[in-house]
Amino acid sequence: MSVRNRWFLLFTALTSAALVLAAACGSDKESTDKSPTAGKTAAATVAGGDQAPADQQKITIQSGEPEFYDPHRSNFEQDIFVERMLFRALYNLTDDGSGGVKVVPDAAAGEPTISGSVYTVKLKPGLKWSDGQPLTAKDFVYGFQRECDPDVASPYQYVLGAGLGDLKGCDDLFNNKDAAQKQALIDALGAKAIDDTTIEFTLNKPVATFTTIWSLWAAYPSRKDVIDKFGDKWTEPANIVTNGPFTLKEVVAKDHATLIPNPNWAGQKPALQQITIKFIDDLSAAFKAFQNGELQATQILATDSTVAEGDASLKSQLIVIASARITTIEVQMKDPVLGGTSSTDPKAYNLRLALSKAINRQQLVDAAYDGVHAPALYWVVKGLKGFQGNDAFKNIDYDLEGAKKALVDAGYPGGQGLPTFKLIYRDTPERRNEGDFLQKAWADAGIKVEMQYVDSKARSAAFNSGEFQLFQGGWQLDYPDIENPLVGLFNTGGGNNKYNCSNPDVDKAYADAAAATTEDARIKAYQAVETAIIKNLCGAIPMYQDSVPFLVSSKLGGVGTNGVIHASEPGSYCAECWYVKK
Amino acid sequence: MTGYVIRRVLWVVPVLWAVATITFFLMHAVPGGPFTQDKDVPPAVNEALNRRYHLDKPLYQQYALYLWDASQGDLGLSFQGDRDVAKLLKDGFFVTAQLGLMGLFVAATLGMVLGTLSALNQNGPLDYLGVVFATIGASVPNFVMGAFLVVVFVVNLHWLDSLGWGGPVQLGDVFHASAYNWRKLIIPVISVSVLPAAFIARVTRASMLEVLNQDYIRTARAKGLKESRVVLRHTIKNALIPVLTIMGPTAAALVTGSFIIETMFGIPGIGRAFVTAVGRRDYGMIMGSTLFYTLIVTIANLAVDLAYAAVDPRIRYR
Repeated sequence: MSVRNRWFLLFTALTSAALVLAAACGSDKESTDKSPTAGKTAAATVAGGDQAPADQQKITIQSGEPEFYDPHRSNFEQDIFVERMLFRALYNLTDDGSGGVKVVPDAAAGEPTISGSVYTVKLKPGLKWSDGQPLTAKDFVYGFQRECDPDVASPYQYVLGAGLGDLKGCDDLFNNKDAAQKQALIDALGAKAIDDTTIEFTLNKPVATFTTIWSLWAAYPSRKDVIDKFGDKWTEPANIVTNGPFTLKEVVAKDHATLIPNPNWAGQKPALQQITIKFIDDLSAAFKAFQNGELQATQILATDSTVAEGDASLKSQLIVIASARITTIEVQMKDPVLGGTSSTDPKAYNLRLALSKAINRQQLVDAAYDGVHAPALYWVVKGLKGFQGNDAFKNIDYDLEGAKKALVDAGYPGGQGLPTFKLIYRDTPERRNEGDFLQKAWADAGIKVEMQYVDSKARSAAFNSGEFQLFQGGWQLDYPDIENPLVGLFNTGGGNNKYNCSNPDVDKAYADAAAATTEDARIKAYQAVETAIIKNLCGAIPMYQDSVPFLVSSKLGGVGTNGVIHASEPGSYCAECWYVKK
Repeated sequence: MTGYVIRRVLWVVPVLWAVATITFFLMHAVPGGPFTQDKDVPPAVNEALNRRYHLDKPLYQQYALYLWDASQGDLGLSFQGDRDVAKLLKDGFFVTAQLGLMGLFVAATLGMVLGTLSALNQNGPLDYLGVVFATIGASVPNFVMGAFLVVVFVVNLHWLDSLGWGGPVQLGDVFHASAYNWRKLIIPVISVSVLPAAFIARVTRASMLEVLNQDYIRTARAKGLKESRVVLRHTIKNALIPVLTIMGPTAAALVTGSFIIETMFGIPGIGRAFVTAVGRRDYGMIMGSTLFYTLIVTIANLAVDLAYAAVDPRIRYR
């Protein structure tokens, strides 16, 4: 080799080494405790004197792109997250300071006056829309009409329907197919404007969760004149009117949305003069952008939270929220092997018990999620009133020898004679890690499982049709009440009971819950429902309660947590509380 | 030649019809629909949604309706937000095409320069540099390259930005300097251009070497022509034909977008929109994107064929 070429190769090698070193700089990792820090607040609320001048009150945050900005057509978290800043209902949810939530009046002047099944709500005086028009009772009534209108096709109409919100006439209107009957059904809906500031709701029966459900996006008001004028385009920035702390200034599809303060918002005036929401699906990219100062708040991957924990400046900006989601393996009870000949078949129960006891849940969350999630033996998530926790269900906890014994009791010693089960999982890198872990864990116990990784829609289709043996599922709360993760999910014939749990103990517990007359009795009754489900492993084997890590800039103040609500941006229930610090 | 061009253009229609038909029926055969989700959607909601988007009609009627509307330029609505598909494609393509064209320019320039220098400096330092570049460029996936560049230049050095599109989003802003943010553009453009640049460099090198060894080049040198004239006037033009062969599909691939790069950098292009639409079973967007891609590839191939004729006077189409 010539001298010239040798120098050239040396130069190339040194340049490459320099680049690698530059890449490695700043990525010191220390070994840290990986347990989630549920409810930790990264940036303490600071008094207004710490605020930067108004021209600096602008932030850029990450979220997914909303499908709709119309709350009565929205289905996804990213839609609701933005709508919560644009609109407000009669009530709002807020962090109770201990990981839970409480309901407070928002547009409502106070608690409803209750007379049997009739709930009367007075509005605060002087409320306005963003265009200066008065916000009246009729606007809220129109919102409920839209929510129950089948032509609007709200995916969340069910929260106002039978068994939950129980608004009189809502299901009749929603299920109506006769156009000639529609107006009469609208007129018969149990939401009436008595005067400009008084709304009377007639329910099918008294509902303990009235103010909770009436705080949701399903209960947001709507402006009839605006929707009549612009049709589906009423939510475009040039046309939209809002009653929340912000309004929509600009939307660039696939890129960002910009919110600015609603000048006619009667509540706490936002300090922020502009919120830019960047539509970023790649959370790893969002993490890097945050490190570069391009974002002031973002969700990050569980694996990146470990990196953040190891960096002194990032750690102080890290919030890990115990979210409103429980992840489980769902079991098709109609399967002759997994469900047995009846709901109380002891052999099938022991097989399900073996599946549960073979899972080391702590190892699972450590291996697949760097320990961010919380191992769970329960179904009702932490943060809800009535939460029972792992201690109540220790009998299904990890015990490999116990799993093998249960397999013997099921009639399959060492897995002999046991068919190979199919487990449907969503095809993402993290879920693949999780699925591979489970497959190995079950193999150690003698249970063979074949993984089927499919995309989200194919997975949902399999679930809805009931065409599965084992399925990675769970439940994310729609609202923070113990009934939400239970009603319709495990009772015989329940709308979401795709795993066909049909157990007399479980059904009896549901009946007792429906008949409960006091709040304490209701909570206890639903706890009994949960106990019956877990005791029988009727359709679900809990694995972990999700935690969601966020990075929130230390320059962003007023950010609380949402308690155990949607895993959207922390403190997003009070975006008007956020501000940029000096 | 004119007849050839007309025939090629007319062939686009049956090609689009075939692609539309295959895509339409394949799309409906895949499990899961646009409104499928884990939480049970009440039958009344499903019926209302299907009515709204004409999915309650028999499949053959939906197919016929789609073809009829598409023939008049109406590509329907995206299920995501009821946005007009044609507008989404237009807006997305405007961004993706910019990224693609910038990437193509960088790839072509870098590739041809490196390839030419490698050929002229065969087995010398420049040739080795070209080999190293081509090997790295061909081996490292563009998203790995992008991630590496982000870690170095964004996270550690803070010299560049990583989020969002740094170019104009409207046609009217193309000639406004203020519409360009080079800090955001550099890494995505480099990421999409490295692989094609590596490929172009190798093809250019090989083609140049072949031409340089031709008798007419030896004759030109023997006649005393300057080396620069030999290379620029006699060698490069003849060496370009194989390079043009790969430029067509390269251009089509770049201009139709890279889903991964667009997702990584939050670029609002059609690559990302298309892949997202498939995952969401957004039928209108899937059909519109597929037809659009077909059109782009067809046009790109025609442009390459016409470029051949322009570069090589021996090539004439009838």
